[in-house]
Amino acid sequence: MVKVIGALMIVGGCGYCGLRIAAVYERRAETLRIMQNALTLLETEISYTATPLAQALERVAGKLNGDCRLLFLKAAELIGAGDGRPASEAWEAGLETLNKLVPFSAEEKSILLLFGRGLGNSLKEEQLKNIALAKVQLRGVERSAVEAREKNKKMWQYMGFCMGMVVVLLLL
Amino acid sequence: MVRVIVNGAKSGSGARQEKPLSADMAVVNQTAIRQAAAGWLAALPPTLRRMVSESLGQRIGELEEIRLRIERPLLLRLAQTELTIDRENRLCGELSRGYVITQADLEQTLEVLSRGSLYAWEDEFKNGYLTVPGGHRVGFAGRGVLEKGVIRTIREIAGFNYRIGHEIPGCADRLLPYLLKGREVYHTLIVSPPQCGKTTLLRDLVRQISDGEKQLGFAGANVGLVDERSELAGVYHGRPQFKIGLRTDVLDACPKAQGIMMLIRSMSPQVVATDEIGRPEDVEAILAAQSSGVSVITTLHGRDVDEIWDRPYLQDLGKLRIFQRIVVLSRRKGAGTIEAVYDGKTLAVLNKG
Repeated sequence: MVKVIGALMIVGGCGYCGLRIAAVYERRAETLRIMQNALTLLETEISYTATPLAQALERVAGKLNGDCRLLFLKAAELIGAGDGRPASEAWEAGLETLNKLVPFSAEEKSILLLFGRGLGNSLKEEQLKNIALAKVQLRGVERSAVEAREKNKKMWQYMGFCMGMVVVLLLL
Repeated sequence: MVRVIVNGAKSGSGARQEKPLSADMAVVNQTAIRQAAAGWLAALPPTLRRMVSESLGQRIGELEEIRLRIERPLLLRLAQTELTIDRENRLCGELSRGYVITQADLEQTLEVLSRGSLYAWEDEFKNGYLTVPGGHRVGFAGRGVLEKGVIRTIREIAGFNYRIGHEIPGCADRLLPYLLKGREVYHTLIVSPPQCGKTTLLRDLVRQISDGEKQLGFAGANVGLVDERSELAGVYHGRPQFKIGLRTDVLDACPKAQGIMMLIRSMSPQVVATDEIGRPEDVEAILAAQSSGVSVITTLHGRDVDEIWDRPYLQDLGKLRIFQRIVVLSRRKGAGTIEAVYDGKTLAVLNKG
Protein backbone atom coordinates (compact mmCIF):
# COMPACT_ATOMS: atom_id res chain seq x y z
CA MET A 1 0.00 0.00 0.00
CA VAL A 2 2.77 2.41 1.01
CA LYS A 3 4.61 1.49 -2.15
CA VAL A 4 1.61 2.33 -4.31
CA ILE A 5 1.17 5.69 -2.66
CA GLY A 6 4.89 6.43 -3.03
CA ALA A 7 4.82 5.41 -6.69
CA LEU A 8 1.80 7.63 -7.36
CA MET A 9 3.49 10.56 -5.65
CA ILE A 10 6.63 10.18 -7.74
CA VAL A 11 4.68 9.88 -10.99
CA GLY A 12 2.44 12.81 -9.98
CA GLY A 13 5.34 15.02 -8.97
CA CYS A 14 7.35 14.38 -12.11
CA GLY A 15 4.24 14.79 -14.23
CA TYR A 16 3.48 18.12 -12.60
CA CYS A 17 7.00 19.36 -13.27
CA GLY A 18 6.63 18.37 -16.89
CA LEU A 19 3.33 20.25 -17.17
CA ARG A 20 4.88 23.34 -15.60
CA ILE A 21 7.70 23.35 -18.13
CA ALA A 22 5.19 22.87 -20.95
CA ALA A 23 3.13 25.78 -19.60
CA VAL A 24 6.14 28.07 -19.68
CA TYR A 25 6.49 27.57 -23.45
CA GLU A 26 2.83 28.37 -23.86
CA ARG A 27 3.09 31.43 -21.66
CA ARG A 28 6.10 32.89 -23.43
CA ALA A 29 4.52 32.63 -26.84
CA GLU A 30 1.28 34.09 -25.54
CA THR A 31 3.03 37.00 -23.80
CA LEU A 32 5.01 37.88 -26.90
CA ARG A 33 1.80 37.90 -28.92
CA ILE A 34 -0.04 40.12 -26.45
CA MET A 35 2.97 42.41 -26.20
CA GLN A 36 2.64 43.19 -29.90
CA ASN A 37 -1.02 44.07 -29.44
CA ALA A 38 -0.08 46.23 -26.50
CA LEU A 39 2.46 48.13 -28.56
CA THR A 40 -0.16 48.72 -31.23
CA LEU A 41 -2.43 50.20 -28.58
CA LEU A 42 0.41 52.38 -27.31
CA GLU A 43 1.08 53.49 -30.87
CA THR A 44 -2.49 54.72 -31.13
CA GLU A 45 -2.25 56.60 -27.85
CA ILE A 46 0.95 58.32 -28.94
CA SER A 47 0.13 59.06 -32.54
CA TYR A 48 -3.48 60.26 -32.27
CA THR A 49 -3.85 61.81 -28.87
CA ALA A 50 -0.22 62.34 -27.76
CA THR A 51 -1.25 61.10 -24.31
CA PRO A 52 1.54 61.48 -21.75
CA LEU A 53 3.25 58.20 -21.04
CA ALA A 54 1.96 57.47 -17.54
CA GLN A 55 -1.62 57.80 -18.68
CA ALA A 56 -1.01 56.06 -22.00
CA LEU A 57 0.59 53.01 -20.37
CA GLU A 58 -2.21 52.82 -17.84
CA ARG A 59 -4.84 52.92 -20.56
CA VAL A 60 -3.04 50.21 -22.49
CA ALA A 61 -2.84 48.08 -19.33
CA GLY A 62 -6.58 48.51 -18.90
CA LYS A 63 -7.21 46.91 -22.29
CA LEU A 64 -4.87 43.97 -21.80
CA ASN A 65 -5.33 40.65 -20.18
CA GLY A 66 -2.56 38.34 -19.21
CA ASP A 67 0.78 39.00 -17.65
CA CYS A 68 1.75 41.98 -19.85
CA ARG A 69 -0.54 44.13 -17.76
CA LEU A 70 1.96 43.99 -14.92
CA LEU A 71 4.73 45.57 -16.96
CA PHE A 72 2.54 48.42 -18.13
CA LEU A 73 0.99 49.07 -14.74
CA LYS A 74 4.34 49.10 -12.95
CA ALA A 75 5.92 51.41 -15.53
CA ALA A 76 2.90 53.75 -15.47
CA GLU A 77 3.03 53.93 -11.70
CA LEU A 78 6.74 54.78 -11.62
CA ILE A 79 6.52 57.42 -14.32
CA GLY A 80 3.42 58.92 -12.74
CA ALA A 81 5.29 59.41 -9.46
CA GLY A 82 7.00 62.42 -11.02
CA ASP A 83 10.32 62.03 -9.23
CA GLY A 84 12.52 62.56 -12.26
CA ARG A 85 13.12 58.90 -12.99
CA PRO A 86 13.59 58.37 -16.73
CA ALA A 87 10.85 56.43 -18.49
CA SER A 88 13.41 53.83 -19.59
CA GLU A 89 14.15 52.93 -15.95
CA ALA A 90 10.47 52.65 -15.18
CA TRP A 91 10.02 50.34 -18.14
CA GLU A 92 13.00 48.26 -17.01
CA ALA A 93 11.50 47.88 -13.54
CA GLY A 94 8.22 46.80 -15.13
CA LEU A 95 10.06 44.31 -17.30
CA GLU A 96 11.76 42.80 -14.25
CA THR A 97 8.37 42.28 -12.63
CA LEU A 98 7.11 40.54 -15.75
CA ASN A 99 10.27 38.51 -16.17
CA LYS A 100 9.68 36.88 -12.80
CA LEU A 101 6.51 35.32 -14.17
CA VAL A 102 7.54 34.77 -17.77
CA PRO A 103 11.13 33.66 -18.30
CA PHE A 104 12.11 35.48 -21.47
CA SER A 105 15.08 34.40 -23.52
CA ALA A 106 18.06 36.76 -23.63
CA GLU A 107 17.04 37.91 -27.11
CA GLU A 108 13.46 38.67 -26.14
CA LYS A 109 14.59 40.57 -23.10
CA SER A 110 17.07 42.65 -25.04
CA ILE A 111 14.39 43.62 -27.57
CA LEU A 112 12.11 44.83 -24.80
CA LEU A 113 14.93 46.62 -22.98
CA LEU A 114 16.06 48.37 -26.14
CA PHE A 115 12.49 49.47 -26.80
CA GLY A 116 12.33 50.87 -23.28
CA ARG A 117 15.46 52.96 -23.77
CA GLY A 118 13.73 54.90 -26.52
CA LEU A 119 10.48 55.25 -24.63
CA GLY A 120 9.24 58.78 -24.12
CA ASN A 121 12.48 60.61 -24.79
CA SER A 122 11.94 61.72 -28.37
CA LEU A 123 9.38 63.29 -30.67
CA LYS A 124 6.32 61.49 -31.95
CA GLU A 125 7.86 60.33 -35.20
CA GLU A 126 10.78 58.64 -33.49
CA GLN A 127 8.48 57.12 -30.89
CA LEU A 128 6.41 55.52 -33.61
CA LYS A 129 9.54 54.21 -35.34
CA ASN A 130 10.73 52.74 -32.08
CA ILE A 131 7.40 50.98 -31.58
CA ALA A 132 7.33 49.70 -35.14
CA LEU A 133 10.84 48.30 -34.80
CA ALA A 134 10.03 46.55 -31.54
CA LYS A 135 6.90 45.06 -33.09
CA VAL A 136 8.81 43.63 -36.04
CA GLN A 137 11.42 42.14 -33.74
CA LEU A 138 8.78 40.73 -31.42
CA ARG A 139 7.02 39.09 -34.33
CA GLY A 140 10.31 37.33 -35.15
CA VAL A 141 10.87 36.00 -31.66
CA GLU A 142 7.22 35.10 -31.29
CA ARG A 143 7.54 32.87 -34.34
CA SER A 144 10.45 31.01 -32.81
CA ALA A 145 8.67 30.88 -29.46
CA VAL A 146 5.66 29.29 -31.18
CA GLU A 147 7.92 26.78 -32.93
CA ALA A 148 9.59 25.89 -29.65
CA ARG A 149 6.17 25.51 -28.09
CA GLU A 150 4.96 23.17 -30.82
CA LYS A 151 8.08 21.10 -30.45
CA ASN A 152 8.40 20.99 -26.70
CA LYS A 153 4.98 21.47 -25.14
CA LYS A 154 3.58 18.03 -25.98
CA MET A 155 6.90 16.43 -25.22
CA TRP A 156 7.13 17.89 -21.71
CA GLN A 157 3.50 17.14 -21.00
CA TYR A 158 4.20 13.42 -21.49
CA MET A 159 7.82 13.38 -20.52
CA GLY A 160 7.21 14.28 -16.87
CA PHE A 161 4.88 11.32 -16.36
CA CYS A 162 7.15 8.97 -18.31
CA MET A 163 10.16 9.97 -16.25
CA GLY A 164 8.15 9.40 -13.10
CA MET A 165 7.22 5.92 -14.25
CA VAL A 166 10.81 5.10 -15.15
CA VAL A 167 11.92 6.14 -11.68
CA VAL A 168 9.18 4.02 -10.13
CA LEU A 169 10.18 1.00 -12.23
CA LEU A 170 13.81 1.45 -11.26
CA LEU A 171 12.93 1.66 -7.59
CA LEU A 172 10.66 -1.38 -7.64
CA MET B 1 -2.15 119.89 -20.12
CA VAL B 2 -4.69 119.38 -17.37
CA ARG B 3 -3.28 117.55 -14.41
CA VAL B 4 -6.03 116.08 -12.29
CA ILE B 5 -4.16 114.40 -9.53
CA VAL B 6 -6.19 111.95 -7.53
CA ASN B 7 -3.69 110.72 -5.03
CA GLY B 8 -4.83 107.70 -3.08
CA ALA B 9 -3.62 108.87 0.32
CA LYS B 10 -5.17 112.33 0.05
CA SER B 11 -8.52 111.77 -1.54
CA GLY B 12 -9.92 108.28 -1.23
CA SER B 13 -12.62 107.35 -3.68
CA GLY B 14 -15.48 106.27 -1.46
CA ALA B 15 -15.80 102.68 -0.41
CA ARG B 16 -12.87 101.33 -2.35
CA GLN B 17 -9.67 101.04 -0.43
CA GLU B 18 -6.94 103.35 -1.57
CA LYS B 19 -3.57 101.86 -0.90
CA PRO B 20 -0.59 101.31 -3.14
CA LEU B 21 -0.97 98.38 -5.48
CA SER B 22 2.20 96.81 -4.16
CA ALA B 23 0.69 96.53 -0.71
CA ASP B 24 -2.30 94.68 -2.14
CA MET B 25 0.09 92.27 -3.70
CA ALA B 26 1.77 91.53 -0.36
CA VAL B 27 -1.44 90.80 1.53
CA VAL B 28 -2.03 87.22 0.54
CA ASN B 29 -1.98 84.67 3.31
CA GLN B 30 0.64 81.98 3.71
CA THR B 31 -1.52 78.91 3.10
CA ALA B 32 -2.75 80.35 -0.16
CA ILE B 33 0.85 81.07 -1.11
CA ARG B 34 1.88 77.49 -0.31
CA GLN B 35 -1.03 76.18 -2.32
CA ALA B 36 -0.12 78.32 -5.29
CA ALA B 37 3.48 77.19 -5.02
CA ALA B 38 2.56 73.50 -5.13
CA GLY B 39 2.13 73.62 -8.92
CA TRP B 40 5.58 74.83 -9.80
CA LEU B 41 7.27 72.93 -6.96
CA ALA B 42 5.92 69.71 -8.43
CA ALA B 43 7.51 70.68 -11.74
CA LEU B 44 10.98 70.66 -10.19
CA PRO B 45 12.95 67.43 -9.74
CA PRO B 46 12.87 66.11 -6.13
CA THR B 47 16.33 67.30 -5.07
CA LEU B 48 15.87 70.83 -6.33
CA ARG B 49 12.28 70.88 -5.08
CA ARG B 50 13.48 70.18 -1.54
CA MET B 51 16.30 72.71 -1.74
CA VAL B 52 14.13 75.53 -3.04
CA SER B 53 11.21 74.84 -0.73
CA GLU B 54 13.33 74.51 2.44
CA SER B 55 15.66 77.42 1.79
CA LEU B 56 12.86 79.83 0.90
CA GLY B 57 10.58 78.89 3.79
CA GLN B 58 8.18 81.77 4.43
CA ARG B 59 9.54 83.78 1.52
CA ILE B 60 8.28 81.32 -1.07
CA GLY B 61 5.56 83.75 -2.13
CA GLU B 62 8.12 86.36 -3.11
CA LEU B 63 9.79 84.12 -5.67
CA GLU B 64 9.47 85.35 -9.23
CA GLU B 65 11.95 83.29 -11.18
CA ILE B 66 14.14 80.22 -10.86
CA ARG B 67 17.08 79.88 -13.25
CA LEU B 68 18.80 76.58 -13.87
CA ARG B 69 21.83 76.94 -16.14
CA ILE B 70 24.26 74.12 -16.74
CA GLU B 71 27.43 74.29 -14.64
CA ARG B 72 26.42 77.62 -13.16
CA PRO B 73 24.85 78.38 -9.81
CA LEU B 74 21.12 78.03 -9.32
CA LEU B 75 19.54 81.47 -9.18
CA LEU B 76 16.35 82.59 -7.49
CA ARG B 77 14.94 86.00 -8.18
CA LEU B 78 12.85 87.58 -5.44
CA ALA B 79 11.63 91.06 -6.25
CA GLN B 80 14.78 93.03 -7.01
CA THR B 81 17.37 90.68 -5.57
CA GLU B 82 18.97 87.60 -7.00
CA LEU B 83 19.93 84.85 -4.56
CA THR B 84 21.33 81.38 -4.70
CA ILE B 85 21.27 78.41 -2.34
CA ASP B 86 24.51 77.47 -0.57
CA ARG B 87 25.73 74.07 0.66
CA GLU B 88 23.93 74.43 3.98
CA ASN B 89 20.67 74.90 2.10
CA ARG B 90 20.38 78.57 3.00
CA LEU B 91 19.62 81.53 0.79
CA CYS B 92 22.82 83.32 -0.06
CA GLY B 93 23.57 86.53 -1.91
CA GLU B 94 27.07 85.58 -2.89
CA LEU B 95 26.35 83.76 -6.12
CA SER B 96 29.74 82.03 -6.40
CA ARG B 97 28.97 80.00 -3.26
CA GLY B 98 25.74 78.65 -4.65
CA TYR B 99 24.75 75.16 -5.68
CA VAL B 100 25.99 74.44 -9.20
CA ILE B 101 23.51 72.90 -11.59
CA THR B 102 24.71 69.63 -13.14
CA GLN B 103 23.81 67.85 -16.35
CA ALA B 104 21.96 65.27 -14.25
CA ASP B 105 19.83 68.01 -12.66
CA LEU B 106 18.78 69.25 -16.07
CA GLU B 107 18.01 65.77 -17.32
CA GLN B 108 15.85 65.08 -14.28
CA THR B 109 14.13 68.42 -14.71
CA LEU B 110 13.29 67.54 -18.28
CA GLU B 111 11.91 64.17 -17.22
CA VAL B 112 9.70 65.77 -14.58
CA LEU B 113 8.53 68.56 -16.87
CA SER B 114 7.71 66.30 -19.78
CA ARG B 115 6.46 63.63 -17.41
CA GLY B 116 8.62 61.16 -19.27
CA SER B 117 6.86 61.92 -22.56
CA LEU B 118 8.59 64.45 -24.79
CA TYR B 119 6.36 63.48 -27.72
CA ALA B 120 3.34 64.81 -25.85
CA TRP B 121 4.71 68.38 -25.85
CA GLU B 122 6.02 68.73 -29.39
CA ASP B 123 4.42 72.10 -30.02
CA GLU B 124 5.59 73.41 -26.69
CA PHE B 125 9.15 72.39 -27.48
CA LYS B 126 8.92 74.13 -30.81
CA ASN B 127 7.92 77.32 -28.99
CA GLY B 128 10.50 76.95 -26.25
CA TYR B 129 8.28 76.82 -23.21
CA LEU B 130 5.80 74.68 -21.31
CA THR B 131 2.96 75.62 -19.03
CA VAL B 132 2.83 73.64 -15.80
CA PRO B 133 -0.09 73.10 -13.40
CA GLY B 134 -0.89 76.36 -11.64
CA GLY B 135 -0.37 78.31 -14.85
CA HIS B 136 3.35 78.92 -14.38
CA ARG B 137 5.63 78.93 -17.34
CA VAL B 138 8.92 77.16 -17.84
CA GLY B 139 11.12 78.32 -20.70
CA PHE B 140 14.18 76.51 -21.91
CA ALA B 141 17.23 77.02 -24.07
CA GLY B 142 19.46 74.51 -25.78
CA ARG B 143 20.47 73.40 -29.24
CA GLY B 144 17.87 73.92 -31.91
CA VAL B 145 17.01 71.11 -34.31
CA LEU B 146 15.96 72.51 -37.65
CA GLU B 147 13.78 71.12 -40.34
CA LYS B 148 13.54 73.11 -43.55
CA GLY B 149 14.94 76.12 -41.73
CA VAL B 150 12.27 76.12 -39.04
CA ILE B 151 12.95 75.09 -35.44
CA ARG B 152 11.52 71.63 -34.98
CA THR B 153 12.54 71.08 -31.42
CA ILE B 154 15.18 71.91 -28.81
CA ARG B 155 17.71 69.27 -27.84
CA GLU B 156 20.56 69.21 -25.36
CA ILE B 157 18.75 71.55 -23.08
CA ALA B 158 21.22 73.71 -21.19
CA GLY B 159 18.99 75.96 -19.16
CA PHE B 160 15.53 76.35 -17.68
CA ASN B 161 13.72 79.44 -16.54
CA TYR B 162 10.76 78.96 -14.23
CA ARG B 163 8.56 82.03 -14.31
CA ILE B 164 6.23 81.95 -11.37
CA GLY B 165 2.86 83.38 -12.27
CA HIS B 166 1.27 85.39 -9.49
CA GLU B 167 -2.43 85.65 -9.04
CA ILE B 168 -3.39 88.59 -6.90
CA PRO B 169 -7.15 88.96 -6.89
CA GLY B 170 -7.97 92.56 -6.23
CA CYS B 171 -4.77 94.08 -7.55
CA ALA B 172 -6.77 95.90 -10.22
CA ASP B 173 -9.34 97.25 -7.73
CA ARG B 174 -7.89 100.70 -7.70
CA LEU B 175 -7.46 100.91 -11.44
CA LEU B 176 -10.82 99.63 -12.58
CA PRO B 177 -12.87 102.79 -11.91
CA TYR B 178 -10.71 104.70 -14.39
CA LEU B 179 -11.36 102.20 -17.15
CA LEU B 180 -15.14 102.10 -17.00
CA LYS B 181 -17.67 104.49 -18.39
CA GLY B 182 -21.15 103.31 -17.51
CA ARG B 183 -21.52 99.96 -19.22
CA GLU B 184 -18.62 100.63 -21.54
CA VAL B 185 -15.01 99.65 -21.05
CA TYR B 186 -12.40 102.04 -22.43
CA HIS B 187 -9.77 100.93 -24.92
CA THR B 188 -6.88 100.55 -22.53
CA LEU B 189 -3.15 100.18 -22.93
CA ILE B 190 -0.97 99.10 -20.01
CA VAL B 191 2.62 100.27 -20.47
CA SER B 192 5.31 98.77 -18.31
CA PRO B 193 8.92 97.63 -18.26
CA PRO B 194 9.40 93.86 -17.82
CA GLN B 195 8.78 92.31 -14.37
CA CYS B 196 6.45 95.07 -13.18
CA GLY B 197 3.33 92.98 -12.83
CA LYS B 198 1.80 93.76 -16.21
CA THR B 199 0.42 90.30 -16.76
CA THR B 200 -0.82 89.94 -13.19
CA LEU B 201 -2.63 93.26 -13.43
CA LEU B 202 -4.19 92.46 -16.81
CA ARG B 203 -5.36 89.10 -15.49
CA ASP B 204 -7.14 90.69 -12.57
CA LEU B 205 -8.66 93.38 -14.79
CA VAL B 206 -10.04 90.69 -17.05
CA ARG B 207 -11.48 88.85 -14.08
CA GLN B 208 -13.20 91.92 -12.67
CA ILE B 209 -14.56 93.12 -15.99
CA SER B 210 -15.83 89.63 -16.70
CA ASP B 211 -17.43 89.09 -13.30
CA GLY B 212 -18.70 92.64 -12.99
CA GLU B 213 -18.19 94.95 -10.05
CA LYS B 214 -21.27 95.78 -8.00
CA GLN B 215 -19.71 98.70 -6.15
CA LEU B 216 -19.08 100.43 -9.45
CA GLY B 217 -22.46 99.44 -10.84
CA PHE B 218 -20.77 97.46 -13.60
CA ALA B 219 -22.69 94.32 -14.50
CA GLY B 220 -19.91 92.45 -16.23
CA ALA B 221 -19.12 91.89 -19.88
CA ASN B 222 -18.15 89.05 -22.18
CA VAL B 223 -14.40 89.05 -22.43
CA GLY B 224 -12.39 87.30 -25.12
CA LEU B 225 -8.88 86.55 -23.99
CA VAL B 226 -6.21 85.76 -26.56
CA ASP B 227 -3.46 84.09 -24.59
CA GLU B 228 -0.69 83.60 -27.10
CA ARG B 229 1.95 82.62 -24.54
CA SER B 230 -0.38 80.80 -22.14
CA GLU B 231 0.54 83.24 -19.40
CA LEU B 232 -2.67 85.11 -18.72
CA ALA B 233 -5.02 82.23 -18.11
CA GLY B 234 -2.31 79.59 -17.68
CA VAL B 235 -4.39 76.99 -19.49
CA TYR B 236 -3.23 73.47 -18.64
CA HIS B 237 -5.03 70.56 -20.30
CA GLY B 238 -7.82 72.86 -21.41
CA ARG B 239 -8.53 74.36 -17.98
CA PRO B 240 -7.54 77.90 -17.04
CA GLN B 241 -5.39 77.71 -13.93
CA PHE B 242 -6.08 81.29 -12.89
CA LYS B 243 -9.33 82.98 -12.04
CA ILE B 244 -10.23 84.84 -15.18
CA GLY B 245 -13.90 85.51 -14.60
CA LEU B 246 -17.16 83.84 -15.44
CA ARG B 247 -17.74 85.56 -18.78
CA THR B 248 -14.29 84.99 -20.23
CA ASP B 249 -13.48 82.84 -23.26
CA VAL B 250 -9.84 81.95 -23.72
CA LEU B 251 -8.11 81.25 -27.01
CA ASP B 252 -4.99 79.59 -25.76
CA ALA B 253 -1.69 79.60 -27.66
CA CYS B 254 -3.21 81.45 -30.63
CA PRO B 255 -1.33 84.20 -32.42
CA LYS B 256 -2.76 87.49 -31.17
CA ALA B 257 -3.96 89.00 -34.44
CA GLN B 258 -5.65 85.84 -35.70
CA GLY B 259 -7.02 85.16 -32.24
CA ILE B 260 -8.61 88.59 -31.90
CA MET B 261 -10.34 88.29 -35.28
CA MET B 262 -11.49 84.79 -34.52
CA LEU B 263 -12.98 85.76 -31.16
CA ILE B 264 -14.80 88.73 -32.66
CA ARG B 265 -16.33 86.50 -35.31
CA SER B 266 -17.17 83.56 -33.09
CA MET B 267 -17.74 84.59 -29.49
CA SER B 268 -19.13 88.14 -29.76
CA PRO B 269 -17.08 89.61 -26.92
CA GLN B 270 -17.60 93.16 -25.62
CA VAL B 271 -13.98 93.31 -24.57
CA VAL B 272 -10.93 91.65 -26.06
CA ALA B 273 -7.81 91.34 -23.93
CA THR B 274 -4.35 90.29 -24.99
CA ASP B 275 -0.77 90.63 -23.84
CA GLU B 276 2.19 92.44 -25.38
CA ILE B 277 1.34 93.77 -28.78
CA GLY B 278 4.07 94.78 -31.18
CA ARG B 279 3.70 93.24 -34.63
CA PRO B 280 2.06 95.05 -37.55
CA GLU B 281 -0.75 92.51 -37.74
CA ASP B 282 -1.52 93.11 -34.06
CA VAL B 283 -2.15 96.76 -34.85
CA GLU B 284 -4.46 95.84 -37.72
CA ALA B 285 -6.42 93.48 -35.50
CA ILE B 286 -6.80 96.16 -32.83
CA LEU B 287 -8.10 98.63 -35.40
CA ALA B 288 -10.51 96.01 -36.68
CA ALA B 289 -11.73 95.27 -33.18
CA GLN B 290 -12.27 98.96 -32.56
CA SER B 291 -14.26 99.42 -35.73
CA SER B 292 -16.51 96.51 -34.80
CA GLY B 293 -17.23 98.14 -31.46
CA VAL B 294 -15.20 95.84 -29.28
CA SER B 295 -13.07 97.36 -26.53
CA VAL B 296 -9.45 96.31 -26.46
CA ILE B 297 -7.28 95.97 -23.36
CA THR B 298 -3.68 95.21 -24.02
CA THR B 299 -0.14 95.71 -22.77
CA LEU B 300 3.09 97.01 -24.18
CA HIS B 301 6.73 96.99 -23.08
CA GLY B 302 7.85 100.52 -22.32
CA ARG B 303 8.67 103.05 -19.63
CA ASP B 304 6.48 106.02 -20.38
CA VAL B 305 3.83 107.33 -22.75
CA ASP B 306 6.32 109.60 -24.54
CA GLU B 307 8.45 106.84 -25.96
CA ILE B 308 5.97 104.14 -26.92
CA TRP B 309 4.65 105.59 -30.16
CA ASP B 310 8.12 105.81 -31.70
CA ARG B 311 8.20 102.04 -32.08
CA PRO B 312 7.97 100.51 -35.50
CA TYR B 313 4.38 99.69 -36.49
CA LEU B 314 2.86 101.46 -33.50
CA GLN B 315 2.78 104.99 -34.96
CA ASP B 316 -0.67 104.39 -36.38
CA LEU B 317 -2.07 103.56 -32.99
CA GLY B 318 -0.46 106.69 -31.60
CA LYS B 319 -1.66 108.97 -34.38
CA LEU B 320 -5.20 107.70 -34.24
CA ARG B 321 -5.21 107.84 -30.45
CA ILE B 322 -7.03 104.57 -30.30
CA PHE B 323 -6.48 103.98 -26.64
CA GLN B 324 -8.69 106.00 -24.34
CA ARG B 325 -6.77 105.08 -21.22
CA ILE B 326 -3.04 104.50 -20.84
CA VAL B 327 -1.75 103.02 -17.59
CA VAL B 328 1.96 103.17 -16.78
CA LEU B 329 3.45 100.70 -14.31
CA SER B 330 6.80 100.53 -12.53
CA ARG B 331 8.48 98.74 -9.65
CA ARG B 332 9.00 101.87 -7.59
CA LYS B 333 6.99 100.56 -4.63
CA GLY B 334 7.24 96.92 -5.59
CA ALA B 335 5.83 95.08 -8.59
CA GLY B 336 2.61 96.55 -9.88
CA THR B 337 3.10 100.16 -8.78
CA ILE B 338 0.80 102.33 -10.87
CA GLU B 339 2.84 105.34 -11.93
CA ALA B 340 0.01 107.11 -13.68
CA VAL B 341 -3.26 106.70 -15.50
CA TYR B 342 -3.53 108.93 -18.57
CA ASP B 343 -6.45 109.94 -20.69
CA GLY B 344 -5.33 108.57 -24.04
CA LYS B 345 -6.83 111.44 -26.08
CA THR B 346 -5.61 114.44 -24.12
CA LEU B 347 -2.77 112.76 -22.23
CA ALA B 348 -4.14 114.32 -19.06
CA VAL B 349 -3.04 112.51 -15.94
CA LEU B 350 -6.08 111.01 -14.25
CA ASN B 351 -4.22 109.38 -11.41
CA LYS B 352 -0.70 109.60 -10.20
CA GLY B 353 0.42 106.67 -8.03
